Amino acid sequence: MSDSCAPCRIGIDIGGTFTDVVCVREGHPAVVFKIASTPADPGEAAIAAVRRVVESVGVEPAAITQVAHGTTVATNAVLEKKGGRLGIVTTEGFRDTLEIGRQMRREMYEVRLDPQTPVFLAPRAMRRGVRERVGARGEVIEPLDEDMTCEALDRLVSAGAECIAVCLLFSFLNPKHERRIRDIALTRHPGLEVSLSCEVDPTFREYERTAVTAFDAYIKPVVHRYLTAFSRRLAAAGVRSPLQVMQSRGGLAGAGTARQRPVRLFLSGPAAGVIGAQAVGALAGDRDLISVDVGGTSSDIALISGAKPLLRAEGIIAGYPVRVPMVDVNTIGAGGGSIAWLDGAGGLRVGPRSAASDPGPACYARGGLEPTLTDASLVLGFLDPARFAGGAIGLDPERSRESIRLRIAEPLGLCVEEAAAGIHRVVNAQMAEGIRLVSVAQGYDPRAFSLLAMGGAGPIHACALASELGIGRIIIPRHPGVLSAAGLLAAPIEHEAATAFAAPFAGLGMADLRRVAKGLDAMAAALMEREGVPAAEVEVHHYADVCHIGQGYHLEVPLHLDAADGLERLYEDFLAAHERIHGHAVAAPARFVNIRSVHRQRMSGPVDPGAIGSASAASASARNAPGIETTGRTPGEGRSSEASPDAASPTRTGGGRRRGDAGSPRSGEHGTRMVRFSDAPERLSTRILARSELVPGEGVEGPAIVEQDDTTTLIPPGWTAIADDEGTMILAPAPPEACRRPLSASRNAEMRKEQR
Amino acid sequence: MSTAPRPSTDPITLEVVRNKLDGIANEMQSTLLRSSFSPIVKEGLDASASLFTLEGETLAQATAIPIHLATLIPVVRTILGKYPVTGMREGDIYIMNDPYCGGTHLPDIALVMPIFSRGRPVAFSAAMTHHQDVGGMSPGSVPTNATEIYQEGIRIPPLKYRDGNELNRTLIDLLTLNVRVPETFLGDLNAQVAACSIGARRVGELAERFGANHLPAIAEELLARSERLARRAIAGMPDGRYRYTDWLDNDGVALDEPVRIEVAAVVSGERILVDFEGTSPQVRGPFNCVPSGARAGVYFSVLAMTDPSIPINGGCFRPVELRLPQGSIVNPVEPAPVNSRTSTIKRIASTVVGALRQARPDDAPADAASALHVLAFGGAREDGSPYVVGELIASGSGASRGRDGVDVIETDGSNCMNLPVEALEMDVPIRVLRSELRPDSGGSGEFRGGLGITREYELLSGEVVFTHRGERHRWPARGTAGGGPGACARSVIRRANGTEELIPSKTVARLFPGDRVEINTAGGGGYGDPEARSGARRAEDLAGGKVGRPPAHAD
Repeated sequence: MSDSCAPCRIGIDIGGTFTDVVCVREGHPAVVFKIASTPADPGEAAIAAVRRVVESVGVEPAAITQVAHGTTVATNAVLEKKGGRLGIVTTEGFRDTLEIGRQMRREMYEVRLDPQTPVFLAPRAMRRGVRERVGARGEVIEPLDEDMTCEALDRLVSAGAECIAVCLLFSFLNPKHERRIRDIALTRHPGLEVSLSCEVDPTFREYERTAVTAFDAYIKPVVHRYLTAFSRRLAAAGVRSPLQVMQSRGGLAGAGTARQRPVRLFLSGPAAGVIGAQAVGALAGDRDLISVDVGGTSSDIALISGAKPLLRAEGIIAGYPVRVPMVDVNTIGAGGGSIAWLDGAGGLRVGPRSAASDPGPACYARGGLEPTLTDASLVLGFLDPARFAGGAIGLDPERSRESIRLRIAEPLGLCVEEAAAGIHRVVNAQMAEGIRLVSVAQGYDPRAFSLLAMGGAGPIHACALASELGIGRIIIPRHPGVLSAAGLLAAPIEHEAATAFAAPFAGLGMADLRRVAKGLDAMAAALMEREGVPAAEVEVHHYADVCHIGQGYHLEVPLHLDAADGLERLYEDFLAAHERIHGHAVAAPARFVNIRSVHRQRMSGPVDPGAIGSASAASASARNAPGIETTGRTPGEGRSSEASPDAASPTRTGGGRRRGDAGSPRSGEHGTRMVRFSDAPERLSTRILARSELVPGEGVEGPAIVEQDDTTTLIPPGWTAIADDEGTMILAPAPPEACRRPLSASRNAEMRKEQR
Repeated sequence: MSTAPRPSTDPITLEVVRNKLDGIANEMQSTLLRSSFSPIVKEGLDASASLFTLEGETLAQATAIPIHLATLIPVVRTILGKYPVTGMREGDIYIMNDPYCGGTHLPDIALVMPIFSRGRPVAFSAAMTHHQDVGGMSPGSVPTNATEIYQEGIRIPPLKYRDGNELNRTLIDLLTLNVRVPETFLGDLNAQVAACSIGARRVGELAERFGANHLPAIAEELLARSERLARRAIAGMPDGRYRYTDWLDNDGVALDEPVRIEVAAVVSGERILVDFEGTSPQVRGPFNCVPSGARAGVYFSVLAMTDPSIPINGGCFRPVELRLPQGSIVNPVEPAPVNSRTSTIKRIASTVVGALRQARPDDAPADAASALHVLAFGGAREDGSPYVVGELIASGSGASRGRDGVDVIETDGSNCMNLPVEALEMDVPIRVLRSELRPDSGGSGEFRGGLGITREYELLSGEVVFTHRGERHRWPARGTAGGGPGACARSVIRRANGTEELIPSKTVARLFPGDRVEINTAGGGGYGDPEARSGARRAEDLAGGKVGRPPAHAD
């Protein structure tokens, strides 16, 4: 069993319903499986996953060199309002900044309003002002009143506060008072969790800074407990490698560092998915991708440009602004569970209401009576009722037909199939417009991108979406249902440090910038060192947030500190970014807003094919894992009873369900089915193929359906699919040669020019 | 199974096309916001994009603020009246801004472009942007002391901006000579051209795909469906004549004369008539509101009080009729000034909500303060550079059954962000001494009205011209179902020498170093009997100090 000592890396992504696991060992095929999540104590499923790797795959715990984790614990604490009891300390006269926010409402036509700011974090009695004032140049106008500070803290603690957010005006220019408040707090009340706005988000605009600092402090007790317990359980299981957690910007951090700044974990899972998409794209030679993850209630869209995921400086979590850099994932309200309904004028509408997984689509036979997108897919023959989610969920097509007939087809005077095709056409139009808007708002033309479809239902819609958007190339990863877990193993360790730097370009020299960057580098380097990353393996990137003088919005631009003409390059890059995002650029004076240093572990080679599922790994695991559709990440969608962990044997000897092994007309073919493609006038005889048996390099022309346990790929007439050596499937409008060519860089440039 | 081709107005094609039209309007709007130069467009989102049928009805529209709702309708009608569609050519673009022939106020310039498919016109794309400056007596073209429209900027009648592919250079030369920052002006116009062109390209593709002949039929069916939904929603309200009257403090010129907005909303079956008989005559100051603005206010309130989920297009507006007495503040006669009509639109919207509340008492809130204080400080920094900073400060919303009002929140016609204290102080020599909720300002009730805000400024150096445009200084937001009124707004200038000057809702004053200005915005009305307020809500109000202390007056 020398094999059991081969170094092994594990990626564990915990979603609301399923916990996805990818395990990679040198010289072995990757092992991929899903087990039911345990929402009450998410760490339980994670530990169960590790134990399964140890017991069923036969890996020595000591041979596990990496455990990388994507978690929803931070987001859930906010969605369920289960964070710590929070107190906020502010400058006197500004205790209501969190409650007032920017005074805007989200629903334009709503007259009966609910609070629009996260006031639940700390109601007014839990917010206190202290006398002090720092001015707009960082000068102390009024020193901190320490007696008042002591009293404020004591009162908050006696009211039950277990965590404190400190947010004083202009602390990003002079952090002295905030730091002093922390010292006082920890002296008087050891054990309090304290977050300072000058450390969480040292940037101007007091509401946004207060909100992000308050979120950080609010979730700290929960995240701390969770990660500490997880690390302890790993150690108890004999795993020696430290736990790593995915952060919202797409880099890993050690659990010890991550829990210091938990507000960076909100998009942990989705960030892993984007990194997974980037890795799959890199393997296929694609640097410009739009990834579409179709889940149960919604679809997530992200853009990858020049092999880098787009980041945003501020995200929205549970409807509230959280100003921390994160992968730019946009959600649109259409997914497999979206409900089709008729409005009062007989118009066919789909969504935004969703049956989610409880009660789920009508075909789940769990009490859902309203027809969903998934029901339409079943009626049209896209899904095999016996094989859905590897057979873990038996679907009842009769219930789908019945609900569509009663609620859509008969009232509209259509036959059931036309109604089902109609539901698909409507959803595809909605999704395509959503994707277009996301790309256009960023200044990109979707036609210059490849479409990467993930999630259980993504590959069903991929060709229709690509057609609507004018996209000519689609990438289907080998395991679209567990791409987040795979992404965890493709991600670098990454830390950043940032500071406000409000200075005009004019009169600045590179030396000034280097001085600022040096301080940031020291902070980031210390964090990397704590993770045990050797300095030689670290690549350092600097960025500046820049705007025109007088502008209220800024853009992030790379900062080349070593170049003598660094400032000129920065300015040119800024104008180019301005041109792309805002459609024009004027050579007006510019200034700095923030400077940021990002330290990233250098990855060996572009990507690790093993992590995202090689062909051999695929055939090993796909036959055996139940691989149920991953859907929304929120808890309460649980259908965990269906996913018996015992069904998830990752070994290669288990009883996989293969059909048509003998006598297949051609490689991987499992007979035919009559399928109604939504744009075709009638059902077509359609070949059904098993993903695991596709022959690399051999074209599959539509109409065809490729099935695997975690997804179904639709190849309509006029499209061709080819699997490559890594198991990735590329789709393009026929002829098949088109699949073999990624879009060239020049083609992208051409299209951008045309778009102007 | 039927395989016969269905008519193009089958329900599925309709919904596909509707989604695409909405997507196109959004893409136009996104392009408009992205490519514009002015901060008021980029950050204030003061721009909108629409698609129109050949008959001039809205097909789809994207707006970020309600005061833009439906405002392009009269523009398109006016242009069609002067330039019949039969004479239009591919590439033509039409321009106008004149409030007295269908515009809103002069800074809002509209462009309209006919869309052709295979040589035939099929629809229009249109974009309206609030331009930073269109000339006139003061920078920014919104002079609060204007007494006639000629002082407010350049008036543009319906004209060709582009004839085929030929730009109207004469017009452009004339316009650029009359505005203060021609580069920004042209940049924003180009963004509008880009938005219209994207609309034209994508609707053209749609016409190719669904048939240029069928597109108008599909469009008409979409309008008919929204109309049907709107009629059903209106029919859900009991018939009746619902009256409500509210007031603007004054017009900024005659400070003791309140301005009356009187509304009778007459619901009969599936129709609604909103009659403004009894409303004050037009005023000397710039608070007059031309019909397109009155329409935006009424449409907002009718949508909000019936069913905002109805796909919004011209069909929604068909069952709504307005009666706007000529020569009144809601239908002024030229050359009355109109630039500050936002306060008027907001009051129109809140008054119509007040009227319809009687039809749907359980679904409506008490009066919102519905007052957005507009402040401007114009002075010079220590280095001599001049500045003007604007502040937009919200007040409290009305309580409704089951919900306290929200403190300091934008309601009805507007939805503007405030200015961060840190942004203000880094820019100009003004310090904000406090910015916090105003205790006891919400109307009492089982559900309390939302609180206003107290914000206090001190001028640090230089001399400042300070403009204050308030509302609800004299007329509180009323409660409903037994709830009490919100507190009135109150603003004072506190001079460095200790004297106090009460601001009568609107003023222009000079400030000197050490002078302070304290703004207290109004609270929203309460809902229900105050005695019935739950113990838990009372306790939280007391613990947080939202209720229980005397109103905040500084030291």
